[in-house]
Amino acid sequence: MKKPSNPHPPRWADRLLEWFCAPHLLEEIQGDLYERFQRQVTLFGERSARQQYTWAVISFIRPFALKRNPNPYPNTLSTRLVMISNYFKIAWRNLIRNKVSALINLTGLTLGISACLVIGVITHFELSYDRFHPDSERIYRVIGTAKFNQAADAEAIGFVPRAVPQALRNEISGFEVVATFHNMESGVIIPNGSKDPKVFKGRDMDIEPAQIVLADPEYFEVFRYKWLAGSPQTALTDPFQVVISERKARLYFGALPLSSILGKEIIYRDSIRTTVSGIVADWKQNSDFTFTDFISSATIRASFLKREINLDEWTDIWSGSQTFVKLTKGNSKEKAVAQLATFGKKHFGPNRGTGEFKFKPSLQPLSDLHFNEVYQDNYSRKASLPTLYGLIGIALFILLIAAINFINLATAQSVRRSREVGVRKALGSNRGNLIGQFMSETLILTLCSVLIALGLAKPLLFAFRSFIPAGVQFSFFNPGILLFLLVITLVTVFLAGFYPSVVLSAFRPALALKGASATSGQQKGYLRKGLIVFQFTISLLFIIATLIVGRQLSFIRNKDLGFSSDAVVTISTLRDDKSAVLAQKIRQISDIEQVAMQWSAPLSDWYMLSMLTYEGKSKIDLEVSAKVGDEHFIPLYQFNLLAGRNLEHSDTLKELVVNATLVKKLGFKTNAAALGKLVMLNNRKYPIVGVISDFHENSLHALIKPTVIAYIPDMAKDLAVRLSTKGKKISDLGPILAKLQKNWHAVYPNEPFVYSFLDDSIQKLYSREQKTAQLVNTASAIAILISCLGLLGLATFTAEQRTKEIGVRKVLGASISSIIALLSKDFLVLVLIALCIASPIAWWAMSKWLTGFAYHVNLEWWVFVLAGLMAIGVALLTVSYHSIKAALRNPTESLKSE
Amino acid sequence: MRRYYLGEFEEIVLLTVAVLGEGAYGVSITNELDQQSGRSVSLSAVHAALHRLEEKGMLSSYLGDATSERGGRRKRLFSVTALGSRTLNEIRTVRESLWNAIPPNSLPAIAIS
Repeated sequence: MKKPSNPHPPRWADRLLEWFCAPHLLEEIQGDLYERFQRQVTLFGERSARQQYTWAVISFIRPFALKRNPNPYPNTLSTRLVMISNYFKIAWRNLIRNKVSALINLTGLTLGISACLVIGVITHFELSYDRFHPDSERIYRVIGTAKFNQAADAEAIGFVPRAVPQALRNEISGFEVVATFHNMESGVIIPNGSKDPKVFKGRDMDIEPAQIVLADPEYFEVFRYKWLAGSPQTALTDPFQVVISERKARLYFGALPLSSILGKEIIYRDSIRTTVSGIVADWKQNSDFTFTDFISSATIRASFLKREINLDEWTDIWSGSQTFVKLTKGNSKEKAVAQLATFGKKHFGPNRGTGEFKFKPSLQPLSDLHFNEVYQDNYSRKASLPTLYGLIGIALFILLIAAINFINLATAQSVRRSREVGVRKALGSNRGNLIGQFMSETLILTLCSVLIALGLAKPLLFAFRSFIPAGVQFSFFNPGILLFLLVITLVTVFLAGFYPSVVLSAFRPALALKGASATSGQQKGYLRKGLIVFQFTISLLFIIATLIVGRQLSFIRNKDLGFSSDAVVTISTLRDDKSAVLAQKIRQISDIEQVAMQWSAPLSDWYMLSMLTYEGKSKIDLEVSAKVGDEHFIPLYQFNLLAGRNLEHSDTLKELVVNATLVKKLGFKTNAAALGKLVMLNNRKYPIVGVISDFHENSLHALIKPTVIAYIPDMAKDLAVRLSTKGKKISDLGPILAKLQKNWHAVYPNEPFVYSFLDDSIQKLYSREQKTAQLVNTASAIAILISCLGLLGLATFTAEQRTKEIGVRKVLGASISSIIALLSKDFLVLVLIALCIASPIAWWAMSKWLTGFAYHVNLEWWVFVLAGLMAIGVALLTVSYHSIKAALRNPTESLKSE
Repeated sequence: MRRYYLGEFEEIVLLTVAVLGEGAYGVSITNELDQQSGRSVSLSAVHAALHRLEEKGMLSSYLGDATSERGGRRKRLFSVTALGSRTLNEIRTVRESLWNAIPPNSLPAIAIS
């Protein structure tokens, strides 16, 4: 070895030379350059010599030095095929010989690729929504921000007042088309001559997408359909016309030829008689515009619908009424938005007949519709982009962890294969060939994993169907999926195979054949350790997330809501006067504790905000949440009455019960002080007769608002029923529900009985959190599994490598426990380092997630310690099997053979 | 007979190889050229010329010993082939006959130091 004081030519110049110079000339040229360099060092000093060396190297960039010698050995197709088949044969033998590590790699890669595949399919599905419309870049939805009064916050709204579209047509020039449609829910009746008519029920809102719209003829100019009968010019111009999709045509009219379906009658809402004026083909692609029955919007003014859908209304907005525009060619979104802003100023403001209501219209690109949860509507299913990105991240991390296993195991075992590399090199194999060989081994494993993952894709999609959107299809013969698989395979092969093959192929044949470890072990050890730390950091992140999400969810489940939701069944009535009759009837049932009339349950996703004014020392305006219920409402939900009394039986709104927050906001010192005070609500004064303790009227994401409970007879039309559950099991509730249903049908003979347990409805508010929890649990399970598999492989390997060392130690008197400690210590240190890295990242990420909840658990230090202990425990368990086995081994066995 | 054309630099390199005999390789040839002709010659130019001369069959070469100052790399030692020798001789004959053909005193006189 050279002494460190020996002057060296610049390393990069050497590298450059080695790179460009033809291999057969390199030795003599580099030798000459070195020789001259040494002489120049003695003549001119090192600095100048290095400069001259660099120049000399650069001056060698000449054709003669660049030109490679042709390979003297024939490299024909047949020899190449022989070599390739040899690679595969050796690869196969290697996999068979190292069954454990092959299995570990296979499991890890399969899990990683399956995750990528499933998540890839989901992502592809979500991103494909509404990408197929012609001119889709010019299609926008008209949205805006609305303010209902001075004090209210501006809200982002995905729809516009119903009078706006017609005004847009008249006043704004930059739109090629303005089209509106109004969602409608209805059953369908198909008259059948003298026979009984065919009846189709309205859709199940939870499962089926929106189907019926009242649409302008322009709808078909914005969204293009293939017309199978009728024409877009005339199909929706007159009242009582309907265009149906081919699927619906078949459903309604069976196998009738399409042309004879034109002119047939379809009845909606029992009395809107329409005639079929066109049939369009259903879109094959994914779309949020799932409509199949397009009734002409002219029908609205010509029927009783005009009372429900007021097309001249400026001062209110309805999510069912949607407006889409297509910009003229050359118009830009910015210009159109500016025009809309002017339009908004012109129509909404003081003295323009729109009162306090203000609306500022704007545009939303069609491509944003599927992902933007701010702008709500009645038909589109929103996909959350952050969730999608999170999913993609998880998939990639899992694949990365699996690739790291491969790298670790392959480099750890490289010593075993150094002889093979030596022999191959001695027989004339070059580095490229060897890299090819090791890559082909990776390729075999990866291909096996891809095949297994393909088989797993369908079961996986089924197993996780709760957070996979309906309609995600997996078909192997989809070119997109094939391409995706190809990319995954290549990326995996490269990720996992490149580094090990470079390391293996770098062995010097002479050293390798002598049996020496051909690479400097120290550095490689660091890389392996670094990779293990990385793996465990990711696993720990997932573990910590699992713990905290789990804690928050159990906090949500066990949080005292301020009222009791046990055994409460809510029943949605038709909101007519008969609901009071139903309430009376239900009260007669023996197993019913209480029945209340209400507008909505105390905690639901329905809420009503109102302005409350109190004139005490100073005038206080307060936005309050209003809950509507009769005198049974407070006892039924077992609210905690702090002061005053319950609402009294009454036929009108005459008194209020408020919550403690409201009392505090109005500045009263004690709850009792608020009793009897008059507050103004909707321009009338009502006394406060009672104060209840605070309760959650929304999910724990939101703070508790000042709230009033009042009885407004017109609104309190739904029923809340508390069942008596004393000494009963859940299974005993069946007969009670049957009784409820019997009474329902006595009052509403033709309506379905719709009820839900309040507990279930409350849980549904957290469905997203539950999905997150499920996802994080799954991800952490997979990450831990793969990381531990890798650790297991490494432990197997080290135990094997150190067999002799352990034998010698035991002969010299080491105890079993000290040997186990010796073998496990290294891994434990790595897990601890990983914990140090993971904790701050997890702390940051989880505190961000928790800030989404107004009420949440604290991030406590012991969670991190627990996560660390779990990781250490799992790592120890994994490692200990082999350490114990190695430690218990009889030293005579391990030492007798050489 | 095919005649090989030699460039001026190639000719000088070929001659230097002949001068150095057994020890002709890149560095020694460059040093010799430096000293003999007094012009600064780059190593790469010498290597290029040697390479071409070998291609033309005027030089033969083999790999010699490695020395530590060369970082353990061997040197390529060159020797002049029969073809190289004949070409040099031919050039010399041509030159000499030309010299002989110059009438006395027709070149401007210069002092040879």
